[in-house]
Order: sequence, then C-alpha cells, then structure tokens
Amino acid sequence: MFDTLRDLSAGFAGAFALHNLGWALVGTTLGTAIGVLPGIGPALTVAVLLPVTFNLDPISAFIMFGGIYSGAMYGGSTTSILLNTPGETGSIATAIDGYMMARQGRGAAALTTAAIGSFVAGTLATIALTFFAPALASAALRFGPAEYFALTVVAFTTVSLLLGPSRVKGLFSLFLGLSVGLVGIDQLTGDARFSFGIPQLLDGIDVVILVIGLFAVGETLYQAWQYGRSEPEAVVLHDFTGMSRDEWRRSWGPWLRGAAIGFPLGVLPCGGTVIPTFVSYATEKRLSKEPERFGHGAIEGVAGPEAANNAAAAGVLVPLLTLGLPSSATAAVMLAAFQQYGLQPGPLLFTSRPDLVWTLIASLYIGNVMLLVLNLPLVGVWARVMLMPRRLLFAGILVLASLGAYSLNGSLLDLAILYLVGVVGCAMRIYDVPLVPAVLGLVLGPLSELQFRRAMAISEGDITIFVTRPISLILLLTAALVLFGSRLVTRKLAST
Amino acid sequence: MSRVHRVLASIAFCLMASGAAAQPPHLDQLRLIAPAAPGGGWDQTARVMQQVLQRTGLVRTAPVENIPGAAGTIGLARFVGSEQGRDDAVLVSGLIMLGGIVMHRSPVTLHEVTPIARITGEYEAIVVPATSPFRTLADMIRALKERPEALSWGGGSAGGSDQILAGLVAEAVGVPPGRINYVAFSGGGESLSAILGGQVSLGINGLAELEPQIQAGTVRALAVSSADRLPGLDVPTLREQGVNLEFENWRSVVAPPGIGARERQRLESVIAAMVVTPEWRDALARYRWIDRYLPGEKFAQFVDGEETRVRTTLRQLDTGQGSGGTLASVGAYPTFVLSGLAICAIAALVVGRSGRGVAAARRPQANVSESNPASRTPSPENVSDPNPASRTPSPEIATVWWIGLGLVANLAMAETVGFVPASTAMFWLTARAFDDRHPIRDAVFAVVMAIVAYLLFGRLLQLPLPAGPLEGLL
Repeated sequence: MFDTLRDLSAGFAGAFALHNLGWALVGTTLGTAIGVLPGIGPALTVAVLLPVTFNLDPISAFIMFGGIYSGAMYGGSTTSILLNTPGETGSIATAIDGYMMARQGRGAAALTTAAIGSFVAGTLATIALTFFAPALASAALRFGPAEYFALTVVAFTTVSLLLGPSRVKGLFSLFLGLSVGLVGIDQLTGDARFSFGIPQLLDGIDVVILVIGLFAVGETLYQAWQYGRSEPEAVVLHDFTGMSRDEWRRSWGPWLRGAAIGFPLGVLPCGGTVIPTFVSYATEKRLSKEPERFGHGAIEGVAGPEAANNAAAAGVLVPLLTLGLPSSATAAVMLAAFQQYGLQPGPLLFTSRPDLVWTLIASLYIGNVMLLVLNLPLVGVWARVMLMPRRLLFAGILVLASLGAYSLNGSLLDLAILYLVGVVGCAMRIYDVPLVPAVLGLVLGPLSELQFRRAMAISEGDITIFVTRPISLILLLTAALVLFGSRLVTRKLAST
Repeated sequence: MSRVHRVLASIAFCLMASGAAAQPPHLDQLRLIAPAAPGGGWDQTARVMQQVLQRTGLVRTAPVENIPGAAGTIGLARFVGSEQGRDDAVLVSGLIMLGGIVMHRSPVTLHEVTPIARITGEYEAIVVPATSPFRTLADMIRALKERPEALSWGGGSAGGSDQILAGLVAEAVGVPPGRINYVAFSGGGESLSAILGGQVSLGINGLAELEPQIQAGTVRALAVSSADRLPGLDVPTLREQGVNLEFENWRSVVAPPGIGARERQRLESVIAAMVVTPEWRDALARYRWIDRYLPGEKFAQFVDGEETRVRTTLRQLDTGQGSGGTLASVGAYPTFVLSGLAICAIAALVVGRSGRGVAAARRPQANVSESNPASRTPSPENVSDPNPASRTPSPEIATVWWIGLGLVANLAMAETVGFVPASTAMFWLTARAFDDRHPIRDAVFAVVMAIVAYLLFGRLLQLPLPAGPLEGLL
C-alpha cells in the first residue's frame, strides 16, 4: 500500500510538468473530438492518433495517451444525448434517456451528469486499478467459457426488464437482433453463415451500424413520417445551466453503482462496454421508485451507464498492465503503443518499467480531471444544438451518421445496410416495437452462443460443466433469482 | 517558451505527416492497406512501415487504411477490385490470408496481386499452463495419441496460423488432424487469458505474444516452431523433440494487379531500401519479428509452396466438427433463433389484431425508444395502430420520399463523384424534406458542412472517405 502510494506520487511527479499537462490537454481534446463521431470508437481513435506521439519522449506520449483514451470514451456520450446517435457501443444505453432529456430541454443536465459521472466513476475505477490490479487480474482468469456463458445468461435475464410494455413485441425485437447476429463467420469452425455470398457480410453486421441505423436514421425517417413539415414540438423551455438540486440527488447513486458494475465487468477479458452499461441501466430501472419514467428522460438512466462505461474502460487496463492481456481492440492498440517504446507488456512490466506504468496511471487521473474541466463549461454550448432548426439538425445527423458508417470499413455496403436498418427502425417505431432488445440480441446472442459452444468443446460435450464449476453455478443461480424474483415482486404488487 | 514552441512545432509536423526529409523522397505517397482492425499483426506491420517510410524520407506520406474482416480476404477483394493498375498502394498480407482464402472459399486469391516482397516472420510456440501435468512435448504427445479429443488447444481464429500449426503437429505425430479439439478464440488476449487461467489444456500462439509469459513463468513452453533454438530463450524446438516440422507466420507486401514493370520495380526498391534502414531493424527487435525479406519472383514461388501446404492441412482439419456433441453443433442455435423469430412474429401479429384496445390502454408506459408522448400532437391511437391500411393516407409521406431520395443520392454519388457532393446533396434534400422555404441558404449550409467534415475527418484525421475530383482541389 505504502509502496503503491510512493510509486504513484513518482508517476504524478513526472506527469505534472507543465509541458506534460499540455500534452494531456491535447490528448483529451483530440480524443473527445474523434470520439464524438459515430462509428469511430476509442480503438480507431487511438490508432489514428498513434503517429502523433511518435516524436515524443515516452512519458509525454503516455500522458497524451491517457488523455486520448479517456477523451474517446467520453466523446460518444455527447452525440448520444443530443443527436440520438451513439458514438460507440458503450454509449447506446445513454442515448435512450439522454436523448429524451435533450428533447425536453434538459440536454445540459444530461451532459452534466454524463461528464461528472464519467469523472467520478473513472476516478474511482482508477483508484481500484492503482491498489488492487494484480489481485483482480488473477480473479478474472478464473473466468472461462462456461462462466462467460453464465454471465450472458445473467445479462439476458437482467435486461429482459427492458423488453418494453408488450412482452411479445419485446421478444420479437430481441429475436430480430439475435437473427441479425447470426450473419457472418461461425468463429469456432470458420464456416460462413447467412452471408449470402457477399464477402463483406462474412464478418457480420457491425453493432455500431445497427445502432446508428435504428436510432439516428430511424428517428429521422420517423420524424418525417410522423410530423412531416409541421413543427411537432410544443415550445420547450431549454435550460442550459446544468443540473438542478433534485437531479444531483438522483445522480449520486447511479454514478457509484455504475462504477461498481462497470469496473469488475471491464476487468474480465471478455471485453466490451455494452454489457456493463445495460446492466447498469436495468439496475437503475429496477431500483427506481418510478420505473415508468425510464425511457422518457430519467436522469438515472444517463448517470448510471455513463459511469459504468468509463469505469469499464479503466477496468480494461487491469489485465493489460498486470498480465499483458489485451482484452479489447483499444487495449490491443495500446499494446502496440507500448511496444513502440520497446516495452514488452506482460507480467513483468510493473517490475521492468515501473516509471512508465505509474506515469500512465497518474495520467489517467489527470485525464479525468482534464475532461471535466474541458467539458463542463461547454455543456451549455453543446446543448444549444437542440435549438437548431429541425431541418438542419436532421440533415446534419444523416451526414454524420453516413460519414461514421462509411469510415468504419470504407465500404458502400455498410452505408446501404445503415439506410436499410434505418427504414426497419422507422417501421419498428410506427408499430410500437421497442428498439433496445434488438441491439441487445445482436450484442449478446453471438457471444452467448460462442461461449456455450466453446465450453461444450472443452468439456467434450458434457453439459454439466455449467453447474459443476462454482462461479458458473453462482451466476446461473443469480439469473434464476433475477427472473423468478421479479415475477414474485410483480405478483405481490399486482395482488396489493 | 522555446520548449512549448518546439512541442507545438512537432505536433504540426506529425499531424501533417510532412516529414522533414533528409534526402529527396522516392515516392510522394504510398497508401498502406491493412486488411485487419487496428491492433492486430497486419495493422501493426502497416503502422511500423508508415513510421519507418516517413521518417527515412523514402515516402513523403504513407497513410494507413484498415479494411478488416474474414482473415484479410475482404481487404484483398477490395484491393484487387478498386486499386487495379494503381501504383500508389500496397496491401499487407501473409500466411493467415492464405488460410482465409481457403477457409472462406474466397474468389480472389494471392495469385491476382503483384507480389512485392515477404518482409517478416514470427515463430509460434506451444505452451501449457504452469499447473499442467505436461512437463515436455513428449508427455503431451503421449496423451494426444491416447485420446486426441481430451486435449483442448486454445489458439487464434479458425483457419489461422495457430490452427494450421496444430494440424501440422498432429499430422507429424500420426494423429488425424480432424480429431484435434481446437478451440478458436478471437484475438491474442482472449486465447492468452484462457491459457493462463487453465481453461484449455494447451495453448498455441505467436511467440511474440507468449514470450513475456514464458519469461515470467506463468506458462511453460513445450516447443517453439523455429528450425534452431532461439538465443535468449531456453525452449527446445519441435524438431529436436522428434516432430519433424518448422513453421512461421510470415507477413508480406503486395501491390495491385495490372501495374507495369517499372512501377513494380520502384515499389520493390522502396521496400528493399526500407528493410535495411536502422529504423526498421529497431522495429524488428521491438516487436520480436524475424527479418524474412524475400523479394519479387522468389517470393511468388514461396507463396505457391505455402499455399499447397495450407490447403492440404486445412482440408484435413475440416473433416472433424470438434467434439461438442449435438447441442454444440453448428445448426442448433440458428434453428432456435429463426424459429423463435417466426413464432414471435406470428404472436405479435395475433396480439396486434385481437388486442388493439390493450395496446392503446398501455400507451402511458410506451416503450423506451419512443419519443415523449407529452410533446406529441397526433392522437396516441394513431401511433400504436398496428394496421397501416386503416391509416388515412398521410400527406407526410412526401417528406419521407424526399429523405429517401437523399439517401439514394448519397449512395449513388459517394464513390463516383466523392464525399463532398454526395453529402451536400443528401443534406440539401433532407433539409428540403422538412422545410422547403430556404433552398439557397440550405445549399450554402450543405456545402459548408460537407467541406468542413471532409477536411476534419478525411484530411486531418485521415479516415477513409471517398474522394472525387472536387476533393482533389481542397
């Protein structure tokens, strides 16, 4: 503990030089700027900006890196809230209530709770990373395919709360997502499934394209269908001042719970910020006294997921720094950056180059503060986007959505899929089918199938593997509790 | 102050990638296409090449483009299709791409591109978790011969270099490769964590990824795939333990089809000059790549030999479907999903027809993606109406058509006339759909937005955006 503090303060000493703070500023600004663009996630952001750090000394480069990383994670929330266009998968959950808040003139409050929540959770997670990284990493290794499958079962049961008022339509939407998830190479055998001979479909349909299509393009078409040229909105009083006292009170719990959910799930080398953000969203809905407000601009639905995705981003660094395991695309790019400086990330990194590792950790703290300082004053400015005339707003959304989808793979086919999904999204809105289950189906379905079959291959077809391994058993029991527990609660509520 | 100044200068330097060249550059521009997502081996190779080529002034700008997917075959197909005859682009390729071509029955192969050179190689290692009962390769082979399925091999994606080596090892020791229980993981991190956590019996992976773990003692290396023992690594080779085999995951650079002999010569000489620079040597050491430079015709012959080897091995591997039993078989899950979709669709239709009143009664708790009911003018019944035929024809349908026209225009124009005109058209048509009272003002907005977006994302951040003649002027 004492050693850790000493090492950390040495890291801070390196980071606090004036020019290094300048680099942190440059990193967070650039990271946020690119993170804002839909489709460009943190991995590509870091890869694109990697050459910028070539000519720097390692300490400055790492500080800039911490900034880029935090900035890119944060950037997605702005477009989610204001344009209903999640910049990356981690901010899908944010869009649900964040966009509704913006429509109701509370965009500034949504952005504020996202910024502060990111800061609080990012800092808490970095503290956990500082003190408990090695212990956490070895615990995460106990997760094998059986445990991951059980985890996806928990995720499925938890988020079944998000199916919407009509179970049948919710399930239809879920199965629609699961079906889209079937497209692409079967990862275990390498065989193509449902790719209809189109090579670009071999890698499946990117979840970002599906989300931008359903949310951004779908919303634009639906607005046109529903209201056409008439301005539909009752005059909304916009408030650009940030959060009210009541909103502060509502945000605290979700921030802390979001950090508690996001960090451990980020540490697992399973990767991804989608599961933690949706589990956080579902948890807040479950805990809320007024769950019916969710989906109509509940600030808890923004605070929780935003905290969870930043905490998960810090969690990803745990296996990377302690074991040399890149558990996400972003981590893999970071690994390349380490190697650029002749570092070999692995179990010995902490002992061979403690100065760099601690500088990186220190820079994460600084990056978090920097983000808050940068973004809070801008909240009011960004929120004024909602005052733009509707025609320009939607035209701009379409251009940005197309730009993001195209630059994902540089492929016209992605653009065509984006528009097609947009039409489907519009139809789903018209027929009152919820969108979120489809997204979850696409994300969770392939993961669940893959881990199930991996576990079965390892156990040579013995299905008891899921109940004989303790962690897997506990997770499955949790899932059962979530499922039947909620039935009991609803029954009790119905009878009273 | 001067320090800050220097710092700012170097940022500008890097962002513009202008390279203060010590000698006149050989090429003005060379696009490096990595057929993989950022972070993988091909992406790393491309980005190291970018760094070395620009720093040494061999090329003035060398932007990297990622075209990920299907073991590089998507990138290959796009490269052959759209770069035909162009001498300012090269594709990073390698052994894994050969595997992908066979696995995914790719219509495009490495025979269609112009070979430039093989540049690097990486050895593979077979390891076991530290707690494993296997002390040597002989222990492992004994167990493998007894019951091949009982050993699970954790490695990279199906059909990749790891699975190919697993098949070659099985064949060399007399076990049918089809009976190997190979569990594919995506990405090095995922398979490494399965090995470290003892989730699989043994791991097979690139040596560069495994070496830190071997040095730290978290895994035990049974064998490396090199011909001779490697300096600084106390691990026996496959061959000295009686498995007559050597193997490496090589990477190469190829040019588009249909380029002339002079252009090919020039690209070859740039790569030849690159591989002897001290910067490249440094990079090889840092990433633990082996120098495997082999230019031109010799490289083409080498590819032919490798292709035969890969094809034979993968064909043998393909005979088995693992040992997962029926539940884990390929067809069970898709059948479940598709029948579930059909059942839910029918149920939704039935509920929609019979329970219209119910749906209307539920309106106050509308689904999460819906817009705020309070801010909506039309009556809620109209919105939840499941039957479009009963809807009175809406005059607003014209608005949707205008937007649809915008989307089609963008699709049609993006790769023919370029990003700026295509986006301008889409922006203007969409804006016009919602409000047609400001056509000229909107046109100005559209052009400005398209140009700013292009400069910011296409130029400054070098994202791949379609460029037409107009973009060339910017």
